[in-house]
Amino acid sequence: MTSQQQPTGAQPVRRRNSRSRRNQLAGLLFVAPALALVLIFFVIPLGMAFWMSLHNWPLLGKPRFIWFDNYSRLLQDTQFWISLRFTVYYTVIVTIAIFAVAFPLALYAERSRPLTKLYRTAFFLPVVVGFGSASLLWAWLLDVDSGLFSYVFAHLGLTDKRINLLADFDTTFWSIVVMVVWKTAGFNMIILLTGLQGISTEVQEAARMDGASSWQRFRRITLPLMRRTIALALILSVAGSMLAFDQFYIIADGGPQNRTVTAVYWIFSQSFMSFRLGYGAALSMVLLVILVVISVVQLRLLRNPEGV
Amino acid sequence: MAGSRKSSVRGLFADVRYHGFGIIAGLLFLAPLVWSVLVSFKPSVEARQPPLPPWPVDGFSVQSYDNLAQYGAGIWTYTGNSLMVSAATVVASVIVSLFAGYGFSRFRFPFKNALFVLIISTVMIPFQSILTPLFLILTKLGLQNTLTGIVLVYVTLQLPFSIFMMRNAFDAVPKEIEDAARVDGASVLRVLYRIMLPLVLPGVVTVAIFAFLASWNEFLAALILLTDQKKYTLPVLMAAVRSGQFGTIDWGAVQSGVTLMMAPCLILFLLLQRYYIRGLTAGAVK
Amino acid sequence: MKLLKIAALTATIVGALSSSALAQQKLTMWSRSTSEAFMPTLIKAFNEKHKTQIELQIVPSAEMVQKYATAAAGGSAPDFVSLDLVYGPAFAKSGVLEDLTDMAKSLPYFDQLSKAHLGTGTYEGRIYALPMSADASVLLWNKKLFKQAGLDPNKAPTTWAEIEAAAGKVNGLGNGINGFYFAGACGGCNAFTFMPLIWASGGDILVDNGKRANIDSPQMHDAINFYRGMVAKGYVPESAKTDSGKNFFGGFATDKIGLSPIGAFAIGNLVKNYPTVDFGVTFIPGKDGGRASFGGGDNFVVTAGRDNLQAAKEFLDFVYSLEGQTLLAKGGSLPTRADVAAEAVKSLDERYQIATEAMKIGRTPSSPVYNDIINSSTGPWKQMLNEVFFGNDVKGSVAKAQASMQSILDAAN
Repeated sequence: MTSQQQPTGAQPVRRRNSRSRRNQLAGLLFVAPALALVLIFFVIPLGMAFWMSLHNWPLLGKPRFIWFDNYSRLLQDTQFWISLRFTVYYTVIVTIAIFAVAFPLALYAERSRPLTKLYRTAFFLPVVVGFGSASLLWAWLLDVDSGLFSYVFAHLGLTDKRINLLADFDTTFWSIVVMVVWKTAGFNMIILLTGLQGISTEVQEAARMDGASSWQRFRRITLPLMRRTIALALILSVAGSMLAFDQFYIIADGGPQNRTVTAVYWIFSQSFMSFRLGYGAALSMVLLVILVVISVVQLRLLRNPEGV
Repeated sequence: MAGSRKSSVRGLFADVRYHGFGIIAGLLFLAPLVWSVLVSFKPSVEARQPPLPPWPVDGFSVQSYDNLAQYGAGIWTYTGNSLMVSAATVVASVIVSLFAGYGFSRFRFPFKNALFVLIISTVMIPFQSILTPLFLILTKLGLQNTLTGIVLVYVTLQLPFSIFMMRNAFDAVPKEIEDAARVDGASVLRVLYRIMLPLVLPGVVTVAIFAFLASWNEFLAALILLTDQKKYTLPVLMAAVRSGQFGTIDWGAVQSGVTLMMAPCLILFLLLQRYYIRGLTAGAVK
Repeated sequence: MKLLKIAALTATIVGALSSSALAQQKLTMWSRSTSEAFMPTLIKAFNEKHKTQIELQIVPSAEMVQKYATAAAGGSAPDFVSLDLVYGPAFAKSGVLEDLTDMAKSLPYFDQLSKAHLGTGTYEGRIYALPMSADASVLLWNKKLFKQAGLDPNKAPTTWAEIEAAAGKVNGLGNGINGFYFAGACGGCNAFTFMPLIWASGGDILVDNGKRANIDSPQMHDAINFYRGMVAKGYVPESAKTDSGKNFFGGFATDKIGLSPIGAFAIGNLVKNYPTVDFGVTFIPGKDGGRASFGGGDNFVVTAGRDNLQAAKEFLDFVYSLEGQTLLAKGGSLPTRADVAAEAVKSLDERYQIATEAMKIGRTPSSPVYNDIINSSTGPWKQMLNEVFFGNDVKGSVAKAQASMQSILDAAN
């Protein structure tokens, strides 16, 4: 997988220096702790995960080698495919929603006026709160008896009684989308802001002189120059959303009726609630391949934006 | 006269619109955080009611914090665990990535680029997919259900970001500064510590903030790798509090826990905002 | 809560003293959070009287299985566990549990121990688990609300129609008060409280020695319609739809619910933590009368390979003593030793007697995959119940669950 990857543009400045063996050894020694960690806690586990996926591997008791049985079973695991489809659906919707909020915020926060920094900080604050805390916070806001929303909706007459927002798939889903947008829009705003600030003001000025309307400038200058940044923000959002777990576990318990069980949630449930470690590993392998494919495709697009 | 007056009226209108949006949007983002903090200071019975008005009507109370404090081994044990895990993750991340960043930036050795790409590309692989083998490896090493074990996992998860940050930080330091010191006969480690460290300190702070936030807030790995209740970190404890006691949920206690968990993150961010944003944008610029 | 704190404190102090003076090792024990009303008290009493010291940790009920299995696989399991009895077969099968057969048979009162517990504690002819606490499902009603609604507060409903009528009356009080409550998104809770409706009407869930699922039965459909009817009429609060067992008790404990099927553990909890709630206890009836109960509670298990049998015996002797049984009963657990049961609950009010009677008729489905089919939060039982109680396609949901449960059972055999 990594062979397809060119070393990223960040090559160190090449300068002639003494290349004694000692120097080589020193370099290796410096990176050794990091390599050891990656080897023990990433590379080996990854290999093991594949090895385990070929076994019937209970948490307790002896593993049994079963070739690719887990993978053929996985094809018939309806809940897994439902979960995967749901995860993709969530990823698409939440990514669009985040952008719909973060882009205007970035355009707004780009201007330097008094207090802009303060607003920007306010938009950003939910980002530093953990997903776990944010989920616990929203689990309360969404609670039918003690929360805010069902009470307010009923009082404004939007619903004729207090309704349980987490009892219906659509309301659960959109509640969580709103929560995630609230939590992550600031992050995407900052990323987009970096891109916006990279666009030279002269280009914008020149276009304005030529009589281009602000929409035209946005469409013809800002957007094209922002492609790389947008692609980066997209990658981060997609990769994060495909792995969503905390919010669905803590707020919705995967409900109603297991319909918001995400892919990671199902892997967690198979591995650590039903203790089918081998099967869980097989599910993980599938998810991993999907994610690597998505990342590689997106990185390609990122590198030659014209291909978008 | 009339024209300039008109334009100043328009300017005022634009100002009002600009700040109006900023204030409303800003409040929307802040509201849930503030709401949670406020409800955590309501007496338990009031915390069970819908939170309008948001502030405690019957006077501020720390009852919810008292209730939270009595869970399991006591809230201070869990806060202590979380602090210990986060501090250790921060220190280890900084040391490991400082060395590695220096090594990758300043030295030549076989497979250097391949190794760098290997480390950075781990970011593409979801750690959730290797949680089970991680559990087995930690068990083999005798580190399952230990805070040390979970720290090592967190440090590894932070490595791609930390090393990327630190290598860039070292790359930005002109080589001549270091060479001058080397000529004076200082050892490599001494140069790193005395000359380079102060120059890459902003990068170190960034690495430290990210390591802190990630380890302080991490939930899934802690949920699985820590089994002994006395070793829970705050996020795991809070999931337990949320799951109710005696078959009843104490929302006041849940929100006091949320407040406790949010506070260090918010304070740290507000103090060190510059370094945090730098870390975020480092990726975007490259 | 205070008691828990005191117990923990005492345990630490006593532990610290004894560990220095007597070099006595301290054993760890886990118990799930539903047992909070009696386990800390029991352990405290034991520690005060014995050189052997036990340190108790309360684990959230929903996490117990995951934590114990993970800890066992990682070698950091507690010495003793008070384990929901339905998990006995699964853990015994995986070899985590110490074989207690010889010790059990040497107990002079072995014949008097709860049969439901021993049933799930026995795997392939060997005994791996012994009764710790007993929890039979019963029906609770709120006497205060009954009175307000013009019902006889001392007359318990004996059929489904009577339950529904009473729930309707109480529901009519309004003001945030509802007639009936059950945790609608909780597999384990509804095994405990919903299965008895089916049993009492002559149906069953697992048949052929636990090898075949029997979900799609007329009794099941009747029971579903009973619940659906009450949901449709608004007798059940909105929050029930998503309650995964986190708040199954919140409404009843605050005088907001008229009737609720619940475990006997709740009795001790109510008496201790909500002394103002005036409630009655009766049997869960069948459609037209009759009675049934889920024989639940915890078994005592010993983690294998630790050489703790002597301490285990010492502890069990205390648990099964009159003192131990009385302490359990006061906290809401039912006695697990028949010959001292009457004596242990003698001083307690009649509500405990009803629960003790219920335990005698208690049934417990036994299967090594009990967690997967019934308790798991992503399992078929929970999903089906939520769909049929609140959804539209009862037939489809039941058929789907039947197929799904059967395939899990088949895969396990």
